[in-house]
Amino acid sequence: MDTARLNEIVERYPAPAGKILGILEQVQREVGYLPKDILQFLAKRLEVSLSELYSLATFYSFFTLAPLGEHVVTVCMGTACHVKGAPELVATLKRLLGVEVDEVTRDGKFLLTTEDNHFSLTSARCFGACSMAPVLRVDNKIFGYITPDRIPAILEQFGWKESQHRGS
Amino acid sequence: MTQVIIDGKPCAAEEGETLLVVARREGIDIPAFCFEESLASYGACRMCLVEVVKGARPGITTSCTLQAADGLEVLTETPEITGLRKALIELYLAQAPRAESIKALARRYGVEKTRFARKVVKEDPLQNRCILCGLCVRVCGEIMGAGAINYIGRGQFTEINTPFYEENEACMGCGACAEVCPTGAIALEDRTDTRVMKSWSETKVPLARCAACGTFFAPVPFTRYAHEKLDPGILDALKDLCPACRSKAAARKAILLKKEGVIPPEPELQA
Repeated sequence: MDTARLNEIVERYPAPAGKILGILEQVQREVGYLPKDILQFLAKRLEVSLSELYSLATFYSFFTLAPLGEHVVTVCMGTACHVKGAPELVATLKRLLGVEVDEVTRDGKFLLTTEDNHFSLTSARCFGACSMAPVLRVDNKIFGYITPDRIPAILEQFGWKESQHRGS
Repeated sequence: MTQVIIDGKPCAAEEGETLLVVARREGIDIPAFCFEESLASYGACRMCLVEVVKGARPGITTSCTLQAADGLEVLTETPEITGLRKALIELYLAQAPRAESIKALARRYGVEKTRFARKVVKEDPLQNRCILCGLCVRVCGEIMGAGAINYIGRGQFTEINTPFYEENEACMGCGACAEVCPTGAIALEDRTDTRVMKSWSETKVPLARCAACGTFFAPVPFTRYAHEKLDPGILDALKDLCPACRSKAAARKAILLKKEGVIPPEPELQA
């Protein structure tokens, strides 16, 4: 994202208070994550400290600091899904997508992206679709009653190829 | 002036003053972690709970956010408040198991152990002493205007550090954060010509050297900041001196001026 576009986004918001989240949201949508250099630029442009922007970016789960893959697979880790086997879904997805199992941050969150940037795997708390537990979402599409053996077919709809993505 | 009654004792108070300030002035020791007079009340640590027995809103509330008003009557230690404080202390013992000030308060209230899982993080930059009261964040942002640190993450995983956990040039090395920290969590160290903010991703700030005696005495960006704020400022010749040499120089000049009987010394000393 170039400076001109960033300025355009900033100038869309006349009121100084409360505009920061809107600006960050737009950047997240267009770039797919919040790159460090953009946060640094915005801190200067908006006259707020970088630490404040970083604090917001790490507080809201909508923001990510690392690039997202083309398709985002989100596994619901709400209570119902958890009980119905969500951890197994995560394990299966990690294997099928060939993403490292250890890449979990200290807070238990993870954002794993395949080498070809095609898929990102992450978790969320409760989609509000508990009746279909366990649930997973690919981009904006929700899939319910998921068992590990149904996952390959779902991923294939989004361009998953066993030979290309599957880890050892 | 208004009058409030604290533990049965009538106390004079300024309109709008918080009850915590009034109580402490009267020698009543209400514990509090997140309170600092130079900052707005925050009401985060919950330790300063008192019970309003007569007033606009009777019940238990934080005294740091309770404004003194005529007819206000509060109790600072009731069995209920003590019970609540003990529970809070147990939570703090779990959150910050290495914090000496929390342990001291636990002893005062007879809390021997915590029912909750103690959070011990290996190589924690805040030495397992941070209770997230936010004083360091607020003093750095609101008073110093640096904003070098902030909360990171949320919920039980919230931490305080520099953005991206990297050295932050916004930090002036003033150490106000360490000064206000109620649990002594923030570590900084002066290594000859450099101040290292150990808790803040090892941010390094150069120290200014006294032009007269050669000791390193204060962080360079902080002295610059202080000089900008001084009105009237000080003589350029005094700026590069450590506090000890500065007073020596000022005294010498004052004596000379007096001897020669030129003008009263003080205004001359200021640029």
